Amino acid sequence: MTGIASEGVLIWMFAGLVGLMLTGLPLAFVLGGLAILFTVLLWDPAALTITVLQIFDTMRSDSLMSIPLYVMMASVLQRSGIIESLYKAMELWFNRLPGGLAIGTVIICTIMAAMTGIVGAAVAAMGILALPSMLKRGYDQRLALGTICAGGTLGILIPPSVVTIVYAVTAQVSIGQMFIGGIIPGLLLAGLYVAYIIIRSLIDPSIAPRDPSPVAWGARIRSLRALILPFLIIIGVLGSIYAGIATPTEAAAVGVAGAVISAAVERRLSLAMLSGAGMDTIKVTAMILWITMGAKAFVAIFTGTGGADFLLEFIRDLDANRWLVLAAMMGVLVFLGLFLDEIGIILLCVPVFLPVIQLLDFDPLWFGILFMVSAQTAYISPPFGYTLFYLKGTLPPDIGMGTVYRGIIPFVLLQLVGLGLCAAFPELVLWLPKLMVAG
Amino acid sequence: AGAGTFAAPHVARAAGQPVKWRMQALWDANTTPMKFEQLFADRVKELTGGGFEIQTFTAGQLVPANQAFDAVRAGAFQMMKTFDGYEAGKIPAFAFTSTVPFGFPESDQYEAWFYEKGGLDMAREAYGKAGLMYIAPTVYGQEPIHSKVKISSIEEFQGKKGRFVGLASSVMGAMGVAVTPLPTAEVYSALEKGVIDIADRGDLTANLQAGLAEVAKFIILPGVHQPTTATSYVANKAAYEALPAEYKAVLAVAARETSAALRQHIVVQDVASLAKYREAGVEIVELDPADIRANRPKAEAQWRVATKDDALATRILDSQVGFMKELGLLG
Amino acid sequence: MSALVGVVRGYCTAVTAFNHLLARLAALVMFVVVPVILFEVVSRYFFDAPTNWAMESATLVFGPYFLTAGPWLLHIHGHVNIDILHKSVGRRLQLVFDAFGQLVIMGFSWVLIELSWPLAVNSWELGETSFSSWNPEIWWTKFFLPGALALLFLQAVAEFLRAAIQLCGGDDPMNGAGRPRAGVA
Ligand code: NA
Ligand code: NA
Repeated sequence: MTGIASEGVLIWMFAGLVGLMLTGLPLAFVLGGLAILFTVLLWDPAALTITVLQIFDTMRSDSLMSIPLYVMMASVLQRSGIIESLYKAMELWFNRLPGGLAIGTVIICTIMAAMTGIVGAAVAAMGILALPSMLKRGYDQRLALGTICAGGTLGILIPPSVVTIVYAVTAQVSIGQMFIGGIIPGLLLAGLYVAYIIIRSLIDPSIAPRDPSPVAWGARIRSLRALILPFLIIIGVLGSIYAGIATPTEAAAVGVAGAVISAAVERRLSLAMLSGAGMDTIKVTAMILWITMGAKAFVAIFTGTGGADFLLEFIRDLDANRWLVLAAMMGVLVFLGLFLDEIGIILLCVPVFLPVIQLLDFDPLWFGILFMVSAQTAYISPPFGYTLFYLKGTLPPDIGMGTVYRGIIPFVLLQLVGLGLCAAFPELVLWLPKLMVAG
Repeated sequence: AGAGTFAAPHVARAAGQPVKWRMQALWDANTTPMKFEQLFADRVKELTGGGFEIQTFTAGQLVPANQAFDAVRAGAFQMMKTFDGYEAGKIPAFAFTSTVPFGFPESDQYEAWFYEKGGLDMAREAYGKAGLMYIAPTVYGQEPIHSKVKISSIEEFQGKKGRFVGLASSVMGAMGVAVTPLPTAEVYSALEKGVIDIADRGDLTANLQAGLAEVAKFIILPGVHQPTTATSYVANKAAYEALPAEYKAVLAVAARETSAALRQHIVVQDVASLAKYREAGVEIVELDPADIRANRPKAEAQWRVATKDDALATRILDSQVGFMKELGLLG
Repeated sequence: MSALVGVVRGYCTAVTAFNHLLARLAALVMFVVVPVILFEVVSRYFFDAPTNWAMESATLVFGPYFLTAGPWLLHIHGHVNIDILHKSVGRRLQLVFDAFGQLVIMGFSWVLIELSWPLAVNSWELGETSFSSWNPEIWWTKFFLPGALALLFLQAVAEFLRAAIQLCGGDDPMNGAGRPRAGVA
């Protein structure tokens, strides 16, 4: 290995990432290309094989298998008009509530979060499900995109969650306790989103058009029919997970079956519709998985060349007030989240942070949840948040990345508020796990 | 870089520069075995007077643990700590140099096979064909079976839904377990929700930390699916050949020292962990060794299948079966 | 000159059509995977008879599934990029960026083909199986990586030619086909 210092690696990789991304080169090849380039320049051409081995591993991932399944469920529901009916019903019921449809979307996102453990699956599914119906009703693009992106990422905190499992295994804390600990912070964030949507819509009603004319109760009641099928699918998916009938990945297939049956009930099932859903599915899945391949290679090379070493050394040697150390750790997490994926960050940071946490006598479970909230923030923070890209992949070509960025910024700030609340009031995190242990 | 790295040590040593290696290990960060890999690296450095530095990487940091084989072959890093079973789909011999379900019940017996019964040479032969140098095994005892129902004999495995991997999935299948292949990450949830009745995962301590005591109220010992385990230090042959003779010796010495040290540490740690399991209301069930012995021939039939009629794998299996007969483990 | 344009047009159309066909075929995989997983769920829960092949076969085809669609995604701009700067510069600079990007993709594919091909061949020579209780042969899945990368390379060449010809003042050789939508639904 050449003598380049860790700071140098970090700066060059970051600069390369930004520079190549700006040319409009697809992200998958920005990451993969840089991984190759930096392996040759900073490591050893022999190490290039790491890139291929990371891909072989991605090819056989059990958990990522849920991505095509949830995307297909979403596409079938969207194409069969079931979601459109659902939004019509929400329109009738929430017509006086500021930002009613965005709030409804946050609720659907929270339910999706409880169904899947994979971030990409929820965001891509919600992009397909919710966006067309919101835009059709004149909702501001930025509000709609921000809501979907932030809401779709709630799945990190709300169980099941693959990122949480990786953290729990790496930090040697109970998976179950981590899962339970994430529930209240997840709901808290969902609440913050809702509060923000209401306030924004009151200040600027044009971003979330309402029709305050009275709606007959008969029409409202009749519209509830649109809830039946989605409700049954939710019961089917969540029920099969929580009754021990299926693993989360398998439950996604139950969701697809539910969507197809629902389409049949609505008499909208056709070969053309299924074929369209199949193409949606492979497009979105391939988009996400090619990025994943590039990202894994990039993180491996970043680790192998010691890109984060000086940041980690800094934390290890930091001799300051325990809260300052904690803030520094969160800062490093959010910074690395600017360009690394969360699983890579966990593998890099947790082994270094955990002894520090223990030394400073912080609760490892509580820290784990703070870690997850900052991970979630990293997933949606511009310029480089994976869910932003996943969402972009489901958008019509006339909506650019700039719109996605502008849409998400308020939600990133809300995340920081949520992070601050969880840090200031540890009971938000620890109350439920304690209750479960006691009970 | 490149081939130059491997030729470098002599030159480097002359210039007073230490030899620097990267080692990909198969363990997660913060686990006991990973700490012993660091001790291994520290010991190598100490015994070479600081002349040989090995940087350790936890599972997945450079490559996923089950992909390290090809990465060392290519020279991406110089050595790995691996579980031979990851590559048993390619090289059948590796089924028997990693862990044998219903195999040697004592670590010392398994380690004796390596050092006294020609196992080391046969493992070297298997790796040699792939351009790799097998340095030495780290041998330790059983991993537990966690269960939601009480299982007191091998017969009671019949009809249970279980999660096992590798050769253990065939052998436990032969004992009547309906084996379902789940990823490690899903074991906790699958037990909690009752998707499966029994599961293997990791060692007693790692499983305690992962919270399995919360979701499975029985532990079956010995874990017949994995009564003893050997993980291996394996080096890229070109990198290894470029080492001075004394550094090669240091690797072997430090590896054998680590094997005993980790095993003894686990013996102590298991006692403490079992106490904590009991505190958490978990019942520990011990299987009768005679019962296990009586069922070993059923496992042996599966071992035969796993050789895929490969000459070296068959030679290794015959050697192990012969030793088991001498020990009175097989009739 | 027009003969050359004809050849380029033929090449671009043929490569794109072939990759599109492969993506359509790969899309069908999910229509098999979903029933297979449902079969496993029903068999395990209702009949206490989990299979050792259902989930493993689903994960086995997962890699080939998403790899195969990659080259076609390049053509329809389905690989996500940051379009902020790209959108705000002039047409010529856009074409320069596009051509440069395709060269990067060609290099990326080339390097990975060279690295993955020997690993796939080695896996085939050893008849690699998964070492599970089902123990299927898995070497064939590894060939999808160099295969998909080779097709990605060919598609990148086609996209490069399109950008280069337009830079030289010519018309897009695939004109008339229109730019398909990358979005879904
Ligand atoms: Na979730
Ligand atoms: Na980010």
